[in-house]
Amino acid sequence: MTLTRRLVVCLDVKDGRVVKGTRFLNLRDVGDPTELASHYEADGADEIVFLDISASVEGRSTLLDVVQRTAERLFIPLTVGGGIRTVADVTNVLRAGADKVAINSAAVTNPHLLTEASEVFGAQCVVSSIDARRSGATWRVFTHGGRIAADLNAIQWARTSASLGAGEILLTSMDRDGSRDGYDIELTRAVADVVNVPVVASGGAGSASDVVAAMDLGHADAALVAGILHDSTTSVGEIKSQMRAASLRVRYAA
Amino acid sequence: MTRKTVITIFDYGAGNIHSLVKALDTGDGVEVRLETDPVAALRTDALVLPGVGAFSNASARLSTGAHKMREEILAGLPTLGICLGMQLLFDSSEEGEGSGLGVIPGRVRRLRATRVPQIGWNEIESLDESLPEVAYFANSYVCEPDSDDCIVAYSTHERDRFASVVSAGNAIGVQFHPEKSSSAGVTFVRDFVNGVCR
Repeated sequence: MTLTRRLVVCLDVKDGRVVKGTRFLNLRDVGDPTELASHYEADGADEIVFLDISASVEGRSTLLDVVQRTAERLFIPLTVGGGIRTVADVTNVLRAGADKVAINSAAVTNPHLLTEASEVFGAQCVVSSIDARRSGATWRVFTHGGRIAADLNAIQWARTSASLGAGEILLTSMDRDGSRDGYDIELTRAVADVVNVPVVASGGAGSASDVVAAMDLGHADAALVAGILHDSTTSVGEIKSQMRAASLRVRYAA
Repeated sequence: MTRKTVITIFDYGAGNIHSLVKALDTGDGVEVRLETDPVAALRTDALVLPGVGAFSNASARLSTGAHKMREEILAGLPTLGICLGMQLLFDSSEEGEGSGLGVIPGRVRRLRATRVPQIGWNEIESLDESLPEVAYFANSYVCEPDSDDCIVAYSTHERDRFASVVSAGNAIGVQFHPEKSSSAGVTFVRDFVNGVCR
């Protein structure tokens, strides 16, 4: 017996609204985060991620309000990422109602943050969010929404993150993000095979079969999807039935 | 109309309890309270020990009221322990210093698996149909009761089979998070509340 593979739905949130676009460009409003999160829960999603892409202090406090409203009616785990820099940020997001926090740039700058957060709140709520881009034979870590290259090998950084206290790795392929060409299977497997914490594959989902491949070939414990659900290219139900058909263990939608 | 049934969550001050509050709040006739004082938390019709934080911190928060809480639970106070809250029903934990309530004899040990923490949806192995078939877990430690008599359900992470649901008198402990286990989990919480109201 083993854990089911998880389908994680990601919502980009800006100033309290879910937006859709290519990373930070051409954003358009697609709805209310609380309503969309509940909608995906009803569809059978296993988990929701809010990625806050607000740039302002106002956007930040709006996010906490959104997290609280969501937690009051969402009965699956909620992860919040984007702009988490300090233990105080972690505390605020968790107190608002998130179950996990995804820490990206700040963990690279200050790896101790992963340790501190996991000592206070437990490793199960600390997610190391890694943006990786292929560089020769391996992958390099980028921070600040992919704008700054860090002097880190992504596979090594994933291992280090886990040993510092992260209980999960959210691994985004920048090469594939938004492309719909499928997840970077090689990257996903390279990381999943060397860390002892769950790996969530992210970036590149174009179809239900891409999700199956990330798990089957990429050894990911979970896969993150966004755009292909928002524009109805596929559905949670369709992805889960393909996962089941590929003999992956899935949670049946209620 | 009689007074409301009071359900009190003992709040150790760590992490998210919003979804739990909402799941417990079944509406008419039920009042959900949060209480940080362990003795004040006992002025209630039912007690909920939530599932967030570390054992030693929670044990320290309990300390002044641990004895009284143990007495009340053993005397029949309906109690639901979730994840860490389940672990607190036991004597002690490998996770850290401090004592549990000692309501159920046994200890808390680390999961014997490669992938720890266990994060995700796992099967609840039980014949009891009131339990969810699959539920969400996020834990590194599990309970090991001295006697199997209290075990209602098992779950298995990798090759480690552990007690995922225990009960003793009116106390029930679940290692999973019902408030994060979608509709099946919420139904389980509401069944607990309805049992108290009856």
